[in-house]
Amino acid sequence: MNIPNPSTAPVPGEYAGDEVSAIVLDPGYWTTRAGFAGEDVPKSVCPSFYGQLDNDSGAQYLFGENAIHTPTGNLEIKNPWGADGIVEDWDTATKIWEYAITSRLTGAKAGDPAKNGLNDGTNANGDSMDVDIDALDNQEKPLEDSPLLVTEPGWNSAKAREKYIEIAMEEWGAPAFYLQKTGVLAAFASGKASGIIIDVGASHTSVTPVLDGMVLRKGVQKSPLAGNFVSNQTRLVFKQSQPEIPLTPHFMVKSKTPVDAGVPAQAMYKTFGVPPTDSFRRLEEERVLTEFKESVVEVWSGPGRLSNGNNEDISKAMPGRPFEMPDGWNQVFQGERFRPAEGLFDANAALQDADNPRPKDEHTIPRLVQQAVQHVDTDQRPLLLSNIVITGASTLLYKFNDRLSHEINQLYPSTKNRLVAPGTVVERKYAAWIGGSILASLGSFHQLWISRKEYEEHGPGIVEKRCR
Amino acid sequence: MASGRDVRDMLGLPMGGAVGEQAKAAKKAKASGGVRRIQGVAREVAALYGERPPPVAVYEEKKSYRAKRQSTGPAKKWVQQPFLNQARSDGLILRHWRRKHTTTPALQDGEDTAMEDIESTASYVENCGDFVKYNLSVDLPTFSDEEYDAHLRSNDWSREETDYLFEVVRDYSYRWAVIWDRYDYQPANKSHLTQETVNADAQDALAALPFAPPKTRSVEDLKARFYDISAKLMKLRIPEVQMDADQFNLYEILKQFDPQSERNRKGLAAALMNRNMDEVKEEEFLLTELQRINMAANRLDAERAELRARLESPSPNQQAAAGLASFNTSQGLQQLFSQLFQQDRSKKRASGSGTGPSRLSLNTNDLATPSSNAPGSMSAANRRQSMAMPQSAVAQTPIRTLPREQEERFNVSSHERLQSGVTFNSDKLMKMRQAKSNVQTQKIAQALQELGIPDTIPIPTSRVGEVFETLIGKVSKLLDLRKVREKEEGEIRVLEAMKERRASEAQADGSRSGSTTHVKNEKTDVMDSQSTSGLHHNTSGSVSREPESRGEDGDGDVDVDAEGEEDDDQDVDAEGEEESRQPSEAISSRGISVGRQSHKRSASELSQGSQGSTKRARK
Repeated sequence: MNIPNPSTAPVPGEYAGDEVSAIVLDPGYWTTRAGFAGEDVPKSVCPSFYGQLDNDSGAQYLFGENAIHTPTGNLEIKNPWGADGIVEDWDTATKIWEYAITSRLTGAKAGDPAKNGLNDGTNANGDSMDVDIDALDNQEKPLEDSPLLVTEPGWNSAKAREKYIEIAMEEWGAPAFYLQKTGVLAAFASGKASGIIIDVGASHTSVTPVLDGMVLRKGVQKSPLAGNFVSNQTRLVFKQSQPEIPLTPHFMVKSKTPVDAGVPAQAMYKTFGVPPTDSFRRLEEERVLTEFKESVVEVWSGPGRLSNGNNEDISKAMPGRPFEMPDGWNQVFQGERFRPAEGLFDANAALQDADNPRPKDEHTIPRLVQQAVQHVDTDQRPLLLSNIVITGASTLLYKFNDRLSHEINQLYPSTKNRLVAPGTVVERKYAAWIGGSILASLGSFHQLWISRKEYEEHGPGIVEKRCR
Repeated sequence: MASGRDVRDMLGLPMGGAVGEQAKAAKKAKASGGVRRIQGVAREVAALYGERPPPVAVYEEKKSYRAKRQSTGPAKKWVQQPFLNQARSDGLILRHWRRKHTTTPALQDGEDTAMEDIESTASYVENCGDFVKYNLSVDLPTFSDEEYDAHLRSNDWSREETDYLFEVVRDYSYRWAVIWDRYDYQPANKSHLTQETVNADAQDALAALPFAPPKTRSVEDLKARFYDISAKLMKLRIPEVQMDADQFNLYEILKQFDPQSERNRKGLAAALMNRNMDEVKEEEFLLTELQRINMAANRLDAERAELRARLESPSPNQQAAAGLASFNTSQGLQQLFSQLFQQDRSKKRASGSGTGPSRLSLNTNDLATPSSNAPGSMSAANRRQSMAMPQSAVAQTPIRTLPREQEERFNVSSHERLQSGVTFNSDKLMKMRQAKSNVQTQKIAQALQELGIPDTIPIPTSRVGEVFETLIGKVSKLLDLRKVREKEEGEIRVLEAMKERRASEAQADGSRSGSTTHVKNEKTDVMDSQSTSGLHHNTSGSVSREPESRGEDGDGDVDVDAEGEEDDDQDVDAEGEEESRQPSEAISSRGISVGRQSHKRSASELSQGSQGSTKRARK
């Protein structure tokens, strides 16, 4: 193949690309990603958490990074996702997603300057107000120009899927809609049509076997051992250490003075008239824990588990990593930093207390992979095992891939197991969105859209028929 | 460095010339510097390089990485062009960016045109068929109700489930793994309210009862059902007899599908995959071992093949042989001849001169009477000869060989085969003088010298050549006979010596009273002497080259003239005499004398032996 000068544009049709300014929405537990198809990074990434202020005039919702991290009294932080990895609170979920789309991608339309109200001078009579309301009514549908591609988890229920298309068609007025599973899209983002996709997100870890761009439903596995689980394990590590390690979020600290390692913090704390809610504090603590996970936590890279032989001693002998809490407390973590993530691979190694029961053995990642492979036709297993795609932000844990590779080779020593893990952070975190961006910008994909006309003809049930 | 100038000064050469030369050199340098100007680099920058060119290549501006932007008129306008996808039936209109098509270049200025453009683009909907080629669907066998009832019924499968199976296969394009994964037949008929079920609800409920708990069907079950139906339908559509090879193969494959063996195969595959680490390691070890052995075997084979290739003769050139093979048969030649004849005739017609007496042209006579020696005589060489020398061609045609007298008279000759090119007859004569060995050549030369034949024969006509050839033949025969005679004679000598010795032994035995040990000793002695004498003869034969030739000198004339074998023999005898006379030892040439000599020798030895024995006796 001759590669032309990089400065020349590819011939139209060479990559079957045909962009129709479709919007790709990839909602997740931690963040919601949205952007135009054909771009390589989602333009709009906003937290899936939202703030709820209960006033006299009813509930007020706050969306977006800036709003939810401001310590405000009575601000309840909530998440529309349920414990089973399916959206629970559809109303607010819709609002969050709409916010993700409209805040960055589709603003208010530039209307006629004579009518958009900006040039209205003194005479604001009733007629013009009516016109404005009409205009507002028209603008209420944020997606009239763009087809919408939404991603869904592999285990999404039929009811939830119908809900998606109802939102897109009824509330947002999308001209066309399509629903695709995250597993398939993550595989597309890595350039694979077949493979096993291991997605370790915030709330759930899923293992999805994909064959020729189609999810093998029987093989889809999910477990709650994911990023949040690691956070909870970290909390337990803090709690069980002697003395207990205090976890103070940023918003509480007014000023701090440096202290020696392990010495109690000397910091000035903020005082609030109305103290922030527990849910707000928990969210802020999560942010600190995220920082801790990123900089300190390491996965025991194998071979073997952390509890095997003298691996634990080896891990203790490895160089430690320092961490400083927002209030100035600091310490070098050595053996402990291997503990939080070990539970992902070894249920016995997980720390436990009353709130955090021992995870089930079948929820560990190697067991999930095993189960997924078990539910696939024998002939396809080697093919799938040679394309194991790793995605999800929690897979960015240090040495995660090394350990996973060891575990899988332990399970299937006779096949050629190959892990495909995108190197860049963005590609790892947003693989499903990128896959959707690729898919929705293909010219050959346009015949798959469910159009408004089809939706009106067949009702929401068409999703089950068309988006397989 | 003023030496050149000084020298000039001393020699009194003019100074002006040197100055002129300097100026010229400077000019030359300047010119060359001018030529080496680097393209695409500013003059000032180029000056910084100094005299040497830069060590790295400088990209010329013309061949720069990015094509220079060409400003051709105002910026092109792009619009969001609505389009219809041909693969869709619902008329969904999407928009993509396209360069604005300029169908109406009526007015260039003003807002009116812009308005018009907007309107025109809004009304225009592109019909986009670029990606229709990707819209593929699979072929499925179809069947009617009658066909199903007649041929395709199964105890295990209801009609509805069969339909469902076909639907799923179509949906997932024969991807059996996916089909099996998604196969979820609900016999309760929620979504599959077919005509039949509506008509006979109660019956259907009963019929569906056995399937009430939805069966879990394996991939093999699904495949077996589908392939079975496909095979049956195929047979219905095309009778087995009329199927072509591909169709029949497909039919056979479909018919022979055995779910049980497929299941067994999958079980084995799964077992293979679920081996534990140790088994895998063992297999790896064995495989590497196997590879090592194979490599060794391959190397050995390669070495052997190389050896064989060296020992074998080179293969004959197949192509050349194939090219000539068609002319090896008489039919082939005849064909060739007729072809040539046709060509010849057409050429003749074209030239118009039909009555040429020359034998350049072929005629039907030649074709009609292909004599027995035709293939040989009509070979390419002969024809070429006839083309080259048209005068002698008359004589050379195979059918008309002249009688001998006429041949002599006209001094022409007919040959079986002629070598290509021109040769000298004298060369041929020279070649005859050569023998295989140098010694033989010398002998021949000597014989010829004796006959008074000069080294170069003045007029080497073909007749002279013939005569010379017979002469050489005779000379070589003579030489052969001489050699044979020598050998024979040597043998005779040996045998006679043995005979004499035996006789003398007998005498000695008679005279002596001796013991057995003595006799044994003597015998060994005798053996020794025999062998030494034999050796002697041989050496004498090989040493006496000169006397032999001298003998030839003497007898030469007689021999050649007489041409008789008996004479030859005599001659050889004489020669032998001389030869054997030569050695310093007193070995006479005559067989008797030789015998005597050997006898004498053996006698002396015997006497020695007797002396020894007497000595021993004394002891």
